[in-house]
Amino acid sequence: MTATTAATRPSSGITLSGVRALLLVFKARAVVVLVALLILFSWLAPAFLTANNFQILTKHVAIAAILAIGMTFVVLTGGIDLSVGSVAGLAGMLVGYLLTQGIEIGGTRHFLPATFCVLIAIAISLLVGLLNGWLVSKAGVAPFIATLGTLYVARGTALLISNGKTFPNLAGEAARGNTGFPSLGQTFFLGLPMPVWIMLVLFAAAVLISRKTPLGRHIYAVGGNERAARLAGIRVPLVKLFTYVFAALCAALVGLIIASQLEAAHPATGDSFELNAIAAVVLGGTSLMGGRGSVTGSLLGACVIGVLSDGLVMLGVSQFWQMVIKGAVIILAVAIDQLQTSIQARFLPLLLRANNGAGE
Amino acid sequence: MTSSAVILEARAITRRYPGTIALDRVDFRVYRNQVNVLIGENGAGKSTLTRILAGVEQPDEGYLLLEGAEITLRSPRDATHHGIAIVHQELSVLPNLDLADNIFAGRELAQAGLLVCRSLEEQRASEALQHLRSPMDVRTLAGHLSLGCRQIVELARALEQRARVLILDEPTSALSNAEAESLFAVIAELKRAGVTIIYISHRLNELLHLGDHFTVLRSGRVVGEGQRSEVDRCWIVERMSGRDIPKADDAQALPVENSTLLKVANLTIGSASNSEAQTVPVRDVSFSLRKGEILGIYGLLGAGRTELLRAIAGVGAIRSGSIQLKGKDLCVKSVASAVKAGIYLVPEDRQRDALVPELSVRENIALARGGGFLLNQRKESKSARQLIKDLNIRVSDLELPVTALSGGNQQKVIIARCLMCSPALLLLDEPTRGVDVGAKTEIYTILQRLASQGIGIIFTSSEIEEIQALADRALVLCQGRINATLERRELTDEALFVAASPVVAAASMARTGSVSL
Repeated sequence: MTATTAATRPSSGITLSGVRALLLVFKARAVVVLVALLILFSWLAPAFLTANNFQILTKHVAIAAILAIGMTFVVLTGGIDLSVGSVAGLAGMLVGYLLTQGIEIGGTRHFLPATFCVLIAIAISLLVGLLNGWLVSKAGVAPFIATLGTLYVARGTALLISNGKTFPNLAGEAARGNTGFPSLGQTFFLGLPMPVWIMLVLFAAAVLISRKTPLGRHIYAVGGNERAARLAGIRVPLVKLFTYVFAALCAALVGLIIASQLEAAHPATGDSFELNAIAAVVLGGTSLMGGRGSVTGSLLGACVIGVLSDGLVMLGVSQFWQMVIKGAVIILAVAIDQLQTSIQARFLPLLLRANNGAGE
Repeated sequence: MTSSAVILEARAITRRYPGTIALDRVDFRVYRNQVNVLIGENGAGKSTLTRILAGVEQPDEGYLLLEGAEITLRSPRDATHHGIAIVHQELSVLPNLDLADNIFAGRELAQAGLLVCRSLEEQRASEALQHLRSPMDVRTLAGHLSLGCRQIVELARALEQRARVLILDEPTSALSNAEAESLFAVIAELKRAGVTIIYISHRLNELLHLGDHFTVLRSGRVVGEGQRSEVDRCWIVERMSGRDIPKADDAQALPVENSTLLKVANLTIGSASNSEAQTVPVRDVSFSLRKGEILGIYGLLGAGRTELLRAIAGVGAIRSGSIQLKGKDLCVKSVASAVKAGIYLVPEDRQRDALVPELSVRENIALARGGGFLLNQRKESKSARQLIKDLNIRVSDLELPVTALSGGNQQKVIIARCLMCSPALLLLDEPTRGVDVGAKTEIYTILQRLASQGIGIIFTSSEIEEIQALADRALVLCQGRINATLERRELTDEALFVAASPVVAAASMARTGSVSL
C-alpha cells in the first residue's frame, strides 16, 4: 500500500508533457548555453558580433572542435586519451624538422615537398595512436595510464627533435621545392578558413561513422557493455584501436594547423589541449563511463568553450578569472548531466507507459 | 539413431581451471531438431560446456564436430559463423542501444559493407520479434526493458542469425511465470522452424515438459543420457545427486534449544536496482529461528533467497515488516546496525563481496573487527591463528595473500571473519558454492558445531543434498513467498522440488498433458 502511493506521487503533480519538455531542455543544454552566451556577449561587447571577430572565433573553435571530435570516440568506448595535446606538439615539430632540416641520406640533405612532410608527420603521429590502442586493448593497460605515458613520451620526443628550440620559417624555400605549408592554416575557401573546412570534414566523417556504420554501432556497444559486445561477436580490441588512432589523427591535424598558422613549430604546442578536449566532450553530454553521447554534442561543447574564452577576453576579464569560470562551467555541465539521468530514471515508467499508448 | 541425427558433437572435452577440472573427457551429442536438455547441479560443468560450444572458451583437450566435420571455435564470432548461437544466463543486452541495434549488434546489415541500413534492420528486427509473438517497438532502449523482454530480444538476435543450434543457458531463471510460458511457446516455434536447441535449466518441470533428449552432468562428467521416453523425474534426480555427499548423521543432530533467537514477521523487500522498480523479490515472509538451530532456505534462482538473507543483514530495502532478535525489535537500516546486533552475512559471491584479494589471510580475517583506536597486530594474529586452527584452514603462513588459498579455505576465512566478532546469528548464502567435496563436509561440520554453541544459522542453497545434509528445518521459497516449511524428516527430494516449482507453470503443464509424473 505504502509502496504504490510512493511510486505514483511524483507523477501526480507534474504532467507528462512537462517532464518531456524538461528533459528536452536538459538534452539540448549545450545549444541553450551556446545561444545564451552569444546573446550575452554581443550585448556586453559590441565588437563581438563583427565579421572580423567571428573569423578569429571560428579558427579557435575549429582547433578545439577537431580535438573534441577525436576524443569523443575514445570516451564513448569508456576510455580516455590524455596524449592528444602532446601528439599535436609532436606533429608540428616533425613537419618543422622535415621542412627546415630535411632528411640526411648519405651525407647530403634532401628536402621533401611540403605535402610529403605533412603526410610523414601524420603517419608518425598515428603510430602513437596505434601504440595507445595496443596498450589499452591488447596489453590491458588502463587508458588513463597508457595515454598518460604516451603524453610524456610524445612531448619528450617533440622536445628532443629540436633540443627544445623552435623551428622558424616553415614557409619553405622555392629552391628546395618545399613551399606551400602555410596554406594549410592560412588560406580561405568559399569565405571560410581552411581549418574550419578541415573541422567540418572531420565532423561529417565522425557523424557518419557514429550513426551510419557498423563501426560506430560497435563503439557505442563497447562503451555500453564491453562483455556483452564481445559475446555478440564484436571485435572489441579493433574497435578500441580505431578510436585511439582516430584521436591521434585529429591531434596531428591540430598540431599541423597551428604550425602552419604560425609558420613556426614550437615543442610546447598543444600543452593541456587534452583537458580542453575532454571538457568539450563532457559539456556536449558524452558520459565518461562510455556508451552515451554524440559527436554533435562534442562540437557544441567545443563551441561553448571557444565562445566563452573569446568573449571573456573581449570583455577584458583577467585570464585567471577565465580559468575559474571555465572550471565552474564544466562542473555545472556534469552536475546537470547527473540531474538529467536521475530525472529520466524517475519518470521512466511514466514515459514508457505513454509510449506504449493503450497497450497497458 | 543414425549418425546424421547428430548435428553437433563434443568429443572427449577436458577443461581445467586452476585447482579444479571443470570438464573431464566429456562426450556430448546434440540431436538435430530436438530440445537437448543438459542437467546438473551448480558446478557440474554445464555452463563451461556451453561456453565451449559457443566459442567463449576453448577446451584444453578434445574437439568439436559439426555435421561430422571438425570445427575450431576461437571466439563467439566463429561460433556464430557456424550457426551456433547462445543466450547467456546473465543476459547480455547492450542497455544503451535500442532493440534493432541489439538484435544486429556485431552483424550489422550494411550496404556495400559500409553504411548501416537502419530501415532494413528495423524491419527485420520487427519481423523477428513478431515471429516470436512478442511485437515490441524496435526503437526502445534495451536498458528500459524488463528481464523477460530482454530475453526475447536475445532470442530474436539468435533467430536473425539463422542459428542452426541455439543454446539457452537457464533462460527462465529470471523470468516470471507468464514470461516463461511465452518462452516455451517461442521454443516450440523455433523447433518447428528447424532449429536445434540445447536447453539448460534447474527446473525439472520445465525440462520434462520441453526436453527430447537428456544428458546429465555431474562433477564435470557425463553420468547419464536418455531419450524423453526413457526419462522421468526419478531418473534425473538419481543421476544428478548420485555423488556421495556424506549425509549428516541424524544421531549427531543435537537437541535444539527452545528459545527463539530471530523472529521475522511479514517481511516485504523492495528491489534495490532502479531499472526493475516494479519487482518485489520477497513478499510477506514470516518465520522464526531458535537458538542453535540451522535453518535452510531452498528455492530456485530468483526465488528471493539471496534478497531475504541480505535484507536481514542490512543490505537491501525493506519495504514493510519487522525483524526481532532475542525479543527486541531490530531496525536493520544498514550493515553496521545488523553487525552491531551480532548478525553477520557470508555472501554468495565471495570474490566480489567478501574477500579483499590484496590483503593477507590475517588481515582478511580481522577485517570486520572494530573497536579501539589502533590495530593490535599481535592480538589479531593470536586470534586469527586460533580460528585457523578451529576451522582447520590450511595455510602455512598468516601473511600469505588470501588469493593463494583454495575456494574452500577462502570460504572458511570468511566464516572466521564472522566468528572473530562473536556473532549471535550467522547468515550464509550458498556456503559451499565453488568448494570441493572434502571442504564441503568440513564446512558442514563447522556449522553444526557453531550451532551447538548456540549461534543461530540460516543458509541458502540450490542443492537439495545440502539442505538435507545440514538443515534442521527448511523454508522453501518460490517467487518471493514461503511455499513450505519442512521439518528435517520431511526433507525429501520430491517435497523440496514440488514446493520450489512455481505452481502456475506446473498447472499449465498438466493442462497440456505432456508431463508424466
